[in-house]
Amino acid sequence: MRTKWKRTLLTLVAGSLVVGVAACSDDGADAGSALNLDGKKTASMADYKAGTQFKATEPLDVSLLFLDQSHYPLKEDWLLWKEISQRTNITVKPTVVPYSDYEQKRGLLISSGDAPTIISKTYPGQEEPFVSSGAILPVSDYLDLMPNFKDKVEKWKLQPELNTLRQEDGKFYVLPGLHEKVQQDYTLAFRTDELQRLNLQTPKNWDDVYKVLKAIKAAHPDSYPLSDRFEGKSILNLVAQTYGAQAGWGYVKNSIWNDQAQKFEFAGATAEYKEVVGYFHKLVSEGLMDPESFTQKDDAAIQKFAAGKSYAISSNAQNIVNDYRPNVSKIPGATVAKIPVPAGPKGDVLRGSRLENGLMISAKLAQSDKFVATMQFIDWLWYADEAQEFTKWGVKGTTYDKDSSGKRTLKPEIAFGGINVGAPKNLQRDFGFQGGVFSYGGPTELVQSMFTEEELGFQKTLADKKQLPLAPPAPLSEEERERVGLSETPLKDLVTQSTLQFILGQRDLSTWDAYVKELEAKGMNDYIELVNSAYKRYKEKNG
Amino acid sequence: MVTTDPTRLMERIDKPAGPRRTSLDDTRGYRIFRVVNTIVLLGVVAVTLYPFVNIVAQSFSSEIYIRTGQVNLVPRGFNLDTYKLVASDPAFWNSYLNTVVYTVTATAISIVLTTIYAYVLSKHRLKGRGLLVGIAVFTMFFNGGLIPNYVLVNGLGMTNTIWAIVLPNAISVFNLLVMKAFFESLPSELEEAAAIDGLNTYGILLRIVLPLSKAVLATMILFYAVANWNSWFQAFLYLDRADMFPVTVYLRNMIAGATSATSVGAVETNAVAISANIKAVTMVLTVLPIVAVYPFIQRYFVSGVMLGAVKQ
Repeated sequence: MRTKWKRTLLTLVAGSLVVGVAACSDDGADAGSALNLDGKKTASMADYKAGTQFKATEPLDVSLLFLDQSHYPLKEDWLLWKEISQRTNITVKPTVVPYSDYEQKRGLLISSGDAPTIISKTYPGQEEPFVSSGAILPVSDYLDLMPNFKDKVEKWKLQPELNTLRQEDGKFYVLPGLHEKVQQDYTLAFRTDELQRLNLQTPKNWDDVYKVLKAIKAAHPDSYPLSDRFEGKSILNLVAQTYGAQAGWGYVKNSIWNDQAQKFEFAGATAEYKEVVGYFHKLVSEGLMDPESFTQKDDAAIQKFAAGKSYAISSNAQNIVNDYRPNVSKIPGATVAKIPVPAGPKGDVLRGSRLENGLMISAKLAQSDKFVATMQFIDWLWYADEAQEFTKWGVKGTTYDKDSSGKRTLKPEIAFGGINVGAPKNLQRDFGFQGGVFSYGGPTELVQSMFTEEELGFQKTLADKKQLPLAPPAPLSEEERERVGLSETPLKDLVTQSTLQFILGQRDLSTWDAYVKELEAKGMNDYIELVNSAYKRYKEKNG
Repeated sequence: MVTTDPTRLMERIDKPAGPRRTSLDDTRGYRIFRVVNTIVLLGVVAVTLYPFVNIVAQSFSSEIYIRTGQVNLVPRGFNLDTYKLVASDPAFWNSYLNTVVYTVTATAISIVLTTIYAYVLSKHRLKGRGLLVGIAVFTMFFNGGLIPNYVLVNGLGMTNTIWAIVLPNAISVFNLLVMKAFFESLPSELEEAAAIDGLNTYGILLRIVLPLSKAVLATMILFYAVANWNSWFQAFLYLDRADMFPVTVYLRNMIAGATSATSVGAVETNAVAISANIKAVTMVLTVLPIVAVYPFIQRYFVSGVMLGAVKQ
């Protein structure tokens, strides 16, 4: 009986191995040799350049991985679809994936070799796992087919930022959304009526924030003036960048670029990081910040704010309108507003990139006879000025009007965000415009064209901020990535855990050196060495 | 020899062996145990019931009371508008209908396949029985993984059809083993008698065994139906069209979508949180059929699973 079992098992294991190998072997499509475009120009325009309206010379279908938002689920009768096919002669065939699990399905479809041609909503960095499989098109090889994209990169001097996307082979694989200016939406929101009542100035830097919170605490001894949402990651990010560190949402990788020393350092062990941790420890230990800020759900934080138990909370423009104002309205006289992003020891600085989430393109497209036409289509729909206005505002005369000064107004029967509240139709839900898949980035004028006066005021305060230098590319080889992969997450977990312990006072800041030793034991130095060597190697190879 | 009416036969087998202990002669220790037991179990009931009642209360409340954390067990700011709003969304009803169709089809297929498989396995004289059991049990511990499964289902042309939902995982090995144990516990004399009276194998299964198996069948239907009703992953994997999504995918997108946006820090400025009472209403409407059906099938539930537990 036993041997019979063993034999069965062996057969099955061997069988599944064979199947597995067979399934993998046809993935290695060769994309590099496709620069010859003969026979791939079906339906393409011969004289396509920046500013030209793209229209395929014969009807085409293009498949698209579509991220479906639950508050504006895809409808087949959207004006958006109709207009796209009318203007470009191309019909978009969406593969609908719910927002909740988009990344998982995207990974699955790419790995199984079954991905749609255009893979939308990919943030820079998310393409890395797929690079070595050859399933994704190295778009940097084909930018000549994309005049609008090239035009914007040149006009807005985006080349250095674009370089940060390059992989070890010197190419990049994701077509990012392009912004003319750095965008920053998140900051702290305060109960402004309380600031006025206590005669407090709007804080300009993080020391001011501390003082203001302290004053509120003095007035309400039994409250936590700041009870944060986003697990504190937004405010950690904001404080850290003005201290020359990275934390919270900004802590994507374990490495941080030191521009003076011209090398990467371990982000969770710098002196600046310690200062950031110290700042938050001060807030928590003096009872100015709710210790639950780092663990509670967003709803819990909003509830405290709405019930008048806290007076400050992280916010973006939409949070103010949707989460805070309607809910604090039960407190008589309560008002809420964003404060300008506070400055810090490193001055009035902002770390940010003008690149946004964007597209990956399936490598299979390069073998198709519709290659050129599809690339032109992508270039037009996502990067042409006219198309960016179209995917954001819709069709002139139908969904919006534009006066001679260039000011756009939504038709009165169409609502969006805070515009035309209560109108019967909605720009996103009923027409498909302003959707996350198509509409992002672009000229500042367009990006800000739907902002409220209040938000425009906030954006003006950002204009004077100095942008911190960008980290240069340090792309890892596949083997290095595997090595780093082993230590990256444990290191990050240790940093996150210890940061929280330091802030909450469960661990004393005097044990900082011991903490750094723990990081070393987990391979911190090897990690940074690897990143620095990758940086040097890339620099020598690509200048 | 005697009657072939199976229910009468079973009555004889099921007859209790002796008088039960009545509460009069319970020992002191047992009485204390019962009191403690009741208190503990009531605590468990409260803990499990609270979130449910809370969601129901939220579904009838207005948004502002939920957001300020004032809704516990009783609705505040009572309104039915949210129900009207959700009920007026054709996408919701469309996915609801999909769920019903998928659940009914998948459960029917699963019951047929599981019964056939389990009945075969319950016959000890069957050659290669060990291998057949082995093949089934093997899948409990090993599987091909996500991507090979997807490639397989896609290769069979089942993506974007109902078959991708109802065929993979049609047989749950756990359910199969429960059913097999149940069939094994049926007295073989019954089947022999039926055979002598002229029934063939299929006749025995359909006219003798299945009528005696109502309890276990009801349990299996309950298991499969609940699992199918609640399942979302298959649909998420294999369906690319919104009009084919079951209500669970719709619900998950609504709930998880709103929270994951903030957790990754995506600068999704136009991500508006779906209001809390709409979420609550959708949840209530989604679980309602299962909650409504459960009490009626539940009485078979314990007996169905336990019937195969002890071999005779």
